[in-house]
Amino acid sequence: MRSSQLVATITAVEPAIRNRSVAALCETADLAMLLAEAEALDDFRRTSPNLYHRVRALFFLYAIHRFHLPPLLLGRGAGLVPHAGHEHLLARRFSEAIGVFLEAQRTSGPSDALSSCLAAAYRELGLQTLADQVRRSVRSLRGNQWMFRIGHPGEQPLRIRPELLAPGPDGTFPVLRESTPVRMDLSHAGWSDIFFLGMDFPEGARVLNISIDLAVHGRDPRPRPPVEAWFRVIDSPVLRLTSVDLGATAEISDITEIFEFGRDYLGLLKAAVIAAGVVPPGVEGSGIGLRELLEQLAGPGRGVELVSHVNGIPKGSRLAVSTNLLAGLIAVCMRATGQVTALEGGLTEPERRLVAARAILGEWLGGSGGGWQDSGGVWPAAKLIHGVVAAEGDPEFGTSRGRLLPRHQQVPVAGALQESLVLVHGGMAQNVGPILEMVTEKYLLRSEAEWEARQEAGRILDDIVAGVAAGDIRRVAAATTRNFRGPIQTIIPWATNLYTETLISEVQRRFGDRFWGFWMLGGMSGGGMGFIVDPGVKCEAQAALSEIMATAKHDLDSALPFAMEPVVYDFAVNDRGTWCELRRDGTAGLMPPGYYALTVPDLIRSDHTRLSPARRAELEAFGTACRNDAAFGGLVQALFDRLFPHGGGSGTPADLHTLLEELGFDDVQHERIRADLIAGRIGLAHNRLQASATVEDVADGDVDIADSPEPDRDHLALGQDALARGEVAVVTLAAGVGSRWTQGAGVVKALHPFCRLAGRHRSFLEVHVAKARRTGRLHGMPLPHVVTTSWLTHRQIAAAGLPVVLSPGRSVGLRLVPMTRDLEFAWTELSHQRLDEQKQKLRDSQQAALAAWARQTGEGSDYTANLPHQCLHPVGHWYEVPNMLLNGTLAKLCAGRPQLRWLFLHNIDTVGADVDPALLGRHIAGGACLGIEVIPRRIEDRGGGLARVDGRPRLVEGLAMPDEAIEFRLRYYNTLSTWIDIDRLLDLFGLSRRDLAATDSAERVTAAVRRIAARMPTYVTLKDVKRRWGHGQEDVLPVTQFEKLWGDMTALPEVACRFFVVSRLRGQQLKDVSQLDGWFRDGSAAHVERLGDWD
Amino acid sequence: MNIRRTVITAAGAAQHELPLQRLVDRDGTVKTALAIVIGEAVAAGAGEIAVIVRPGSEEAYRHAAGHSATRLELIPQSDPRGYGDAIGRARRFVGDEPFLHFVGDHLSVARGERCCAEQVVAVARTEGCAVSAVQSTREHLLPFFGAVGGRRRHGDHRLYEITTVLEKPTPTRAEQDLIVPGLRAGHYLCFFGIHVLPPTVFGLLDSLADEGHRQLSPALALLAERERYLAYEVDGSRYNLGTTYGLFTAQLALALAGADRDEVLSLLVEQLARQP
Repeated sequence: MRSSQLVATITAVEPAIRNRSVAALCETADLAMLLAEAEALDDFRRTSPNLYHRVRALFFLYAIHRFHLPPLLLGRGAGLVPHAGHEHLLARRFSEAIGVFLEAQRTSGPSDALSSCLAAAYRELGLQTLADQVRRSVRSLRGNQWMFRIGHPGEQPLRIRPELLAPGPDGTFPVLRESTPVRMDLSHAGWSDIFFLGMDFPEGARVLNISIDLAVHGRDPRPRPPVEAWFRVIDSPVLRLTSVDLGATAEISDITEIFEFGRDYLGLLKAAVIAAGVVPPGVEGSGIGLRELLEQLAGPGRGVELVSHVNGIPKGSRLAVSTNLLAGLIAVCMRATGQVTALEGGLTEPERRLVAARAILGEWLGGSGGGWQDSGGVWPAAKLIHGVVAAEGDPEFGTSRGRLLPRHQQVPVAGALQESLVLVHGGMAQNVGPILEMVTEKYLLRSEAEWEARQEAGRILDDIVAGVAAGDIRRVAAATTRNFRGPIQTIIPWATNLYTETLISEVQRRFGDRFWGFWMLGGMSGGGMGFIVDPGVKCEAQAALSEIMATAKHDLDSALPFAMEPVVYDFAVNDRGTWCELRRDGTAGLMPPGYYALTVPDLIRSDHTRLSPARRAELEAFGTACRNDAAFGGLVQALFDRLFPHGGGSGTPADLHTLLEELGFDDVQHERIRADLIAGRIGLAHNRLQASATVEDVADGDVDIADSPEPDRDHLALGQDALARGEVAVVTLAAGVGSRWTQGAGVVKALHPFCRLAGRHRSFLEVHVAKARRTGRLHGMPLPHVVTTSWLTHRQIAAAGLPVVLSPGRSVGLRLVPMTRDLEFAWTELSHQRLDEQKQKLRDSQQAALAAWARQTGEGSDYTANLPHQCLHPVGHWYEVPNMLLNGTLAKLCAGRPQLRWLFLHNIDTVGADVDPALLGRHIAGGACLGIEVIPRRIEDRGGGLARVDGRPRLVEGLAMPDEAIEFRLRYYNTLSTWIDIDRLLDLFGLSRRDLAATDSAERVTAAVRRIAARMPTYVTLKDVKRRWGHGQEDVLPVTQFEKLWGDMTALPEVACRFFVVSRLRGQQLKDVSQLDGWFRDGSAAHVERLGDWD
Repeated sequence: MNIRRTVITAAGAAQHELPLQRLVDRDGTVKTALAIVIGEAVAAGAGEIAVIVRPGSEEAYRHAAGHSATRLELIPQSDPRGYGDAIGRARRFVGDEPFLHFVGDHLSVARGERCCAEQVVAVARTEGCAVSAVQSTREHLLPFFGAVGGRRRHGDHRLYEITTVLEKPTPTRAEQDLIVPGLRAGHYLCFFGIHVLPPTVFGLLDSLADEGHRQLSPALALLAERERYLAYEVDGSRYNLGTTYGLFTAQLALALAGADRDEVLSLLVEQLARQP
C-alpha cells in the first residue's frame, strides 16, 4: 500500500507540507484511496504520542467521512446506523463507538449511513480530546493545583485577611469593592483566542484587546467600570450570594448547593467562590460542612458575603461582561484571602495572570467557555495578547506547542479611537459555541481559503495595532472593515446576518464617506458592534444609530432572534484595569443600592429581634443613606414595589385571554386535554405505538429508488407535460416558529434569513419562492405557490409581500406547564447526548430546577407567564392541508386553475425540495394518493422513519416508536415532502371539487375534516420556549403542547401511498443552526442556488 | 564560623507566657519550656543567651530559666513592632558575630542523640553561612509558618540552597514560588523555629519599609538574594506551643522520645481502654 499522504501532512516538519489542505488532497482520490487513507489515519491516531497529531488525524477522518466519501457512495443503497455505536456516542464513549462503526464497515462495507456515524464520532472525539487537554492544563497550572487536593475543612489553608475581620465601631464589617472594566477586541485574528488554537499555533494566536468603561448613551451620566464585585465577612456561618442585576440572592449553608450551578441565577458567583479557593473544588462531594470550612476561613460563627453588580450592561454585548465579572469576583475573593498582595488598588502582572487562570477554571466549572482574551478587563488599557510557545518547565511542554495562558503586552492607544467609535449592542444575543467549534475544525483541516484568511487576519491585526498606536483611525476602520468582509466571513460565513448588513448599508447611506468602517466585536455580529465615523459626526452618528437599529429591529423582529432593544454605548479606555477599594463604617460601608432593594424586604418581614448586631447596624446606615445619599434615592419606592407587587404591563394573562377569545380558542377541548394530562391518560409515554405492534424495516420493493442523477425519461416527460398544462401547485408549510432553530425564541422560521444565496441573505421562504419561479419559467406556466400559516406566522408572512397565496391556519393551542412525569420521561427514558462532565452537571442541576419550577407553578396549568405569542402554539402540520379545504384556499386555486390535479407539499426547512418533473411523473405514473419522499438515513436523522408496521409500509413518528432502538433498524428517514393527488385526497375526506366550490358546504367540509382528524393520533410534546427579561437575559423553559402530524396520513389503510427514495441534497431538512456550515460546505447550498430564479 | 550567642524571642502578645509553661523533659525532669530551649542552646555551644521579653516579665523569665538564669540577658521590647523588630533589639548583644536564634513558643524534639539546634549549628559551622532549620510541612499549615523555596544541594538530601522566603504564604503563592523538587505534592519547607543568622540581618531589617510592623521573613528573603543562605531539614520535629493542644502535643512528644516512654505509653493505653 502506498504511504498515507494525510499522515505525512500531519507529521511534516516543513510548514508548506504540514499546512496542506485536506480537501485538496482528497478531491481527486477514488473510493479505495480514501478508505485506505482513512485506515492509515485511524491507525496513526491510535498510536501517535503527540496529542495534536492525534486531534488533527481525528478531524481529517471526520472530513473524509463527512465530505469526501458520501459523494463516492451514492447509489450503493441505504445503510443502517448500528444502535450499539449510537448508544456509545450518546454516552460519550467515542472510541468504543468508532470501534462499533468500523466493525460494521468491515462486515457490511462502507455506506453513507456508516460514514455519517464515523464523521460524528471522530469529530466529537477530537473536540473532547482538545477540551480535556485544556482542562488538564487549567488544573495543572501552578497556583491552581492545591485547590483540587483539599478535601476536609481542616485542610483549608486560606484565611480571611485581618483587616476584613475587625468590625468597625458600629459593628459592621469592612467591605471590599472590586471594579473591573470589560474588554473589547479590535481584532481576534480569526478567532485565534480559542484555547486550542493558541495551544497548537501560538505564533498565530494574537488579539488586540482594550479595557473600557461603559455607559448606556442617554441613560448614564458617564462611563464607569461596568462590573463590580463586593465582598465582606458576615456574622452568620453561611455563604450569602447576591446577584443584584439578576435579582437573585441566597444564603447557602450546605456545601452541595455551591456546586449546583444551574439551580438559580447565582452560578457565576458560585463558580467564583470555588475558583478563588474559598470553597476549593476538591471538597465537591466530600460531605463536609460549610460551617466548618467558613470557620477555618473567617473564624467561629462567621461567614462570607459576595455580591455581583453589572451596571445595566446587556447580555450578549460581545464585551465579555460575564468573564470579566467572574474575574472581578475571583479577584476580590483572592484579595480577601491574601492570595493577592494588595487589598486595595490594582494587581501585579503575575497576579493578573493568576486571576485570568482562575477565571478560566471558573468558566470550566460553570460549564461555560470563552477565549483566552476574555478576562482582558483585568489588565489596564490596550494590550496585544499573544500565544506563547511552551518551554521546558511549563506544564504544557511536551503536550502542546503553546501554553494555555497567553502573554499580555501593553501597547499604546491614542485617544482618537474614542472620538470616532460608536459602540452599540444591536439587540441580538446568539450562542457562539457552534461557531467556535467550526473555527477549530477549519483550522485543523487547513481548508485552503480559510487558512489563507487566517494569515490575512494576522496581517490585518498588525495594521490595526499600528493604526491604533498612531491615532490613524481611518486606517483602523479600513482594516476592521477589511477583516469583517474578508477573513472573518471567509472562515465563518455565519458571522454576519441580514440585520448587520442592513445597519451597515443604512449607516453608509446616511454618512457616506464620513462613515469610515465597521467592526465586528467578538464571535459574531448582531450584538456588540462598532461603527467608526469621522469625529465630527460622532454625536450625530450615535443618535442615528439608535434610530437605524430600532427601525431595522422592528422590520426583522419576527425573522431574527432579538433578545432586547438595541442600545448605543458611551465608552472610555480604562487605564487601571481591575481596581479595589476598602470601604468601612456607616454609609461608606454599605453594599450597592440595588442590593438593598433585593434583601431588605425579607429583613423587614423577618423578626427583627433575631437580626445580628452587624445587620442591625447596616440597616441603620441604610436608613441614613436613603435620607442623605443621592445614590440611594428612590430606593424606598423600589422597596414598596417589591413588598407590594402590582400587575400590569404587556404579556399578562389578561392580554392573553383576550387574544384567545379573538382566535376562537376551544376552551372545552383544552380543559379535556388538561384533565387527561393531569390524570395521566395522555403524556409522552402514551405517544408510543402499542408494544405489540410489529415495526420493521421496509422491503426493497416497498420503495422507488429515485435518487439517480439521470431521471427516467418517461417520468420526466409525464411531469413536464403536467407542469406545462398547469396541473401542479406547491404548498410550503410555514405555520411554525422554529423552536429548534432559535431554541424557542419565537421567530417566524419562514422569514428567517438563514443564508447568503445568490449574492444576498435569503429567508427560507424566499428560497422556495425562487424555486417555484424557476419551475414556472422552465415550463412556460407559472406555478401557484401556497404557504400555510398559523396565527403565529400569518401577519408577518403576509407583510413580507412575497408572490404566494396564504392559507391561514385556524387552530391554536395554549401551552401548558409540563407534568414532572413527562419531564422525567423526556430526560431519563428518552436517550440524550450526554454532555461533557461540567456541562452535564450544569444540565442536571438545571433539570432539577425546571422540575421544581413545574411543581411550584402548577403541573398542567396554563403557561401564561410570557408574551402572548410565546404562550400559544400551532397544533401540528397535519392541520395545514385540511385548513386549505376549510379556509377556501384549495377551492380558489381550483377555481382559478380547474386543471389543477397535483400538489407538492414540503416543509419550510426542506430547502432542496422543488417541483421536480421526473418525481412528479413518477407519482403520476404510480397512481397513488400520496407520494412520500424519504432519504437514506444518517446518524443525525432522528425522529422516526419509514417502516412496515404490522406488515404495512407507513411513516412512523419518532414519538410513536415503541422502542427507540427500532429506529436504528429502519433504513429510510422521512422528509415530509409529499406529492398529493387532489382528487384522491378529496375522496378520502368524502368530498368533491364541487363541495369545495359550493357556498353552502362549509359544515360538510368541517365535518369531513373532523372525521379524519379524529382518526389521527394526538401527540403530547415538550418544546422549549424562551422567556426574556432584564437586560438581554433569557430563560429557556420546557412547555407541553399537542400536535397532529402529517406523516400519520400514511397509516390510514384507504390511503394509497408510494415512497420515493430521493437524494439528501433534495431531502435534507435544516432544523438546527449547527447544520448550516456542513450543509454549505457539502455542496447542498450550491445545489439550492442552482434550483432557483433569484431575482 | 564561631557561634557563641543565642537570641530567643518571647515578647509576642500571644506567646509571652508560653516559655514559662512547665513540662517534663526527655530526661524526666520538670522544666519550663524556656529552660528546655536554653538547654538546647547550651548544647549547641551558643551559651550566651539573650531573651527578648515583654517589659515587666523579666522576673518571671529569670525564675523560669532556673539554674541558667545567670547566663541570660533579658531585653525588654517596649513599643513592640513585630517579630523582626524583636530580633533587631538584640543587635547590641549579638555584636558582629553570627548567632543562633530560637522562637520562644516552639519546642523541638530530635529523633537522634543530637538535638536540633546542634544539628543546625553544625551545618552553619561547616558551610560558613546562614542556615535555617526547616521541616517539610503540608500546605494547610502554611498560615502558621514562614516558608522557603530553593534547590536541594547535590549530595546532601537534607540541605537546600534558599532562593525565596515568604511569610505565611497562601498555597496559591507557594505553588508558584516555593516548589522544591523532591518534596511530596502539597508539601513545603517551612521554618522550624531555629536559625543561625549572620549579623548582616540587622542591616536588612533596617532596610525594610517601616509599616508599624516588621517581619523577619522579608529580611531573610533579602538575605537569600545577597548571601549564601541554606535550609537544613533537621532530623526532628517542631511543636508550636501556641496552638490548641500545642503544649499537650509537645509534652507527649518529649515523653515518648525520652526515658519515661514506656510509662507514658502504658498510661495512654490505660486511658484508651477506659473510654467507652
